[in-house]
Amino acid sequence: MFLCDIESIKGHLDEQFRQVEDLQDEASPNFVEEVVVVFFKDSGRLISNLEQALEKYPRDFNRWDAYMQQLKGSCSSIGASRMKNECMSFRDNCGQRSVEGCMGSLQKLKREHAILRQKLESYFQLLRQVGPAGAATRPAM
Amino acid sequence: MLLDAMMMEARKGLMERERERDQFPVGMRVLAVDDDPVCLKVLEVLLRRCQYHVTTTNQAATALRLLRENKDMFDLVISDVHMPDMDGFKLLELVGLEMDLPVIMLSVNGETKSVLKGITHGACDYLLKPVRIEELRNVWQHVVRRKFSNREPNNNLDLCKEISKPPSADSYHRLGQATCDSHRSCDQSNRAGKKRKEPHSEEEDDGEDNDDAAGSKKPRVVWSVELHRKFVAAVNQLGIDKAVPKRILELMNVEKLTRENVASHLQKYRLYLRRLSAVASQQASIAAAFGGRDPFLHMGAFEGLHSYHQPFAPSAALPSFNPHGLLSSAGAAAFGLQDLASPKANQCSSSNGIASHCAGDTEKFHIVSLQDNQQADLSQGLTASSLGQPQLQQKWIHQETNDLCSVISGGALANTMSGTLQRVTSSSLPPEDLLECTPHIKVGAHPSIGIPTGSSGLLERSVGVSANLRDSCISQQCALPISEGFSVNKLPLHIPFDGTGVTKLDASFVAGEQEMDQKGIFLERMSVSVCPSESLIVASNAKCRASSSGSIILPLPRDTERHSKYLQFGAASNSRHRMDGMRQDQRLNSGGFSYDGGAIVPEQTDMYDLGVPKLQGGFNSSSCNFDGLLNSIIKVVKTSVMLKISLFMTVIFPLKSLFSKPMFLEF
Repeated sequence: MFLCDIESIKGHLDEQFRQVEDLQDEASPNFVEEVVVVFFKDSGRLISNLEQALEKYPRDFNRWDAYMQQLKGSCSSIGASRMKNECMSFRDNCGQRSVEGCMGSLQKLKREHAILRQKLESYFQLLRQVGPAGAATRPAM
Repeated sequence: MLLDAMMMEARKGLMERERERDQFPVGMRVLAVDDDPVCLKVLEVLLRRCQYHVTTTNQAATALRLLRENKDMFDLVISDVHMPDMDGFKLLELVGLEMDLPVIMLSVNGETKSVLKGITHGACDYLLKPVRIEELRNVWQHVVRRKFSNREPNNNLDLCKEISKPPSADSYHRLGQATCDSHRSCDQSNRAGKKRKEPHSEEEDDGEDNDDAAGSKKPRVVWSVELHRKFVAAVNQLGIDKAVPKRILELMNVEKLTRENVASHLQKYRLYLRRLSAVASQQASIAAAFGGRDPFLHMGAFEGLHSYHQPFAPSAALPSFNPHGLLSSAGAAAFGLQDLASPKANQCSSSNGIASHCAGDTEKFHIVSLQDNQQADLSQGLTASSLGQPQLQQKWIHQETNDLCSVISGGALANTMSGTLQRVTSSSLPPEDLLECTPHIKVGAHPSIGIPTGSSGLLERSVGVSANLRDSCISQQCALPISEGFSVNKLPLHIPFDGTGVTKLDASFVAGEQEMDQKGIFLERMSVSVCPSESLIVASNAKCRASSSGSIILPLPRDTERHSKYLQFGAASNSRHRMDGMRQDQRLNSGGFSYDGGAIVPEQTDMYDLGVPKLQGGFNSSSCNFDGLLNSIIKVVKTSVMLKISLFMTVIFPLKSLFSKPMFLEF
């Protein structure tokens, strides 16, 4: 059972996450967790940059959009679908030049970011508890 | 499967890389570049899963360094489009030109214009994030395809054999150097048979000696600036349409360079020029800062531009040239006159747009292609596409000559016009916008603009436009009193190609009086070339400096009755594009297209001696893309640099000339 199939996390993660999970094998035994760690570190940085940019460059929608595009790339690569949706909505707001819309999207994005982090942390913790046996039950593809 | 994976690992540990390479595509060496660490990590593992050998870096500069240090280290490059230190398209161009490696673009953004930009910059493929493994499994085809298309037909079979033959230390090396081989066999190789697509399935028991096919063990040719400059000089000398690898090779006279090397480089060069002209076309249309009041519109000459009507032109601020179907871009190019006050222009407003504008009091004719805001937008694209060279601002130097002006305005402007080049500068135009127009260009061939590839911006801008007015309609409509004694001096334009000012294009005006083969028809050709911002010297002096690869020839009608105006945009005009025997004593050599260098045209000492400028330098003369020409002419003029463009306006295409003859620019 892939993580993205689990009810509690469905919607937050999509098929892409399954692909990422697929890539974990003996050659890269902790791949998924490594990727997730990198993701949260990078996305945290991007979100923080974006927040600063919102303040420092008011109404600079192009710049904001560029920042968000980076974040969207990360989200797509890992399959963080809800976050990705918020990224897209933020970019739409940039297109419409709506500062309130952008702010709103950003807040939602941060919320989703926090939720996802929490869920994944729990998940990995669970995996560690289950141990190698539990990991082995996942199809190695 | 696990077992297989483990075995693979073991094998890798045991065997050297050569071993892997012999089982191509297994072990294909990929360089992955992406500033997004998450994506890069996933990509790396995906590629490893495909059994490729992966090297990753999050910096484009590092990637370039790796590639340059060891030319044979990689088979394929996968790069993200949006990177902080260098634009992905720029990296793409550089890699394609310097190393001749297939490059695949990656992006979150799948917009058409972005994809198009990738294509025009030479990407083999454009993948959207998140990348799926299925897409990556097949990327090896780009490597093979490139090698096949670069080889002679009779070599293809050998290539297959090479790929499938038993491991040897040289096999991969030879495969790698196959990319240097001739491109001319492209068609033939494509016909060679489908089984070539599956080289690894070729029988392995072929004991034929493949040394012949592979040739000597030449290292991959690196097209250095110097080498490329020679190449461009040779191409210019031959004329873009006559530039065949064999002759180019002879002219270049470089040791250890094969015809195949030259051929494949020529192929890329043409592609590059094509892209530039496409960009130039776009610019021309955009540059239509022409008011609709130009009488030029009514000139029958415009009809000749029907075929060049660009659908995208209307989007630009094109003047109402459309009535004649004149490429709005063309028209714009011709009349890209801006708000320059030209009260006197009305004198000659009769026929010559140039005339009308020439007569301006300020005598400042700006060909405005882009407004500032447009510039801003465009610059992004261009900057992106510029190849690691200093971004050449697109500046056109429009040369005005006293003579021209006076002729046009009947002498009124004689003193006003000077041999200054109007420098239209515009910040880099986003190639993507320009590229968008590319599909619409129906002109035919592709404009080959001998523009140094130093920057895409430069390339795009450096489309030389040589406009020869040769339209009798113009003369008829033109109420310009053309004095008998009018003589347009030749203005040599030195055009440094890019910020480094390496290449110089020589643009000169054609002395209509002297050059006109037609009786009494005064043709002036003004070459205008784009010059890089730094190198552009706009001065009200005789020296015209422009960094551009094109020359705009604006013939000045002398005999209003029967002179035909022919606007020739000859970014790469060569002798073929000479208008009916106009003397071409000027040669514009466009600089190299990827390097700062390029042909350096000897500077004309006699500024005011009009001669037919001959643009050379990698321009394909197969067809004329007036859009591109016009576009290239049209530049945004910086207020700080005011050039007088008089001849520029005379963009009139004769009905027949355009269609029947190959024009300077090949699109």
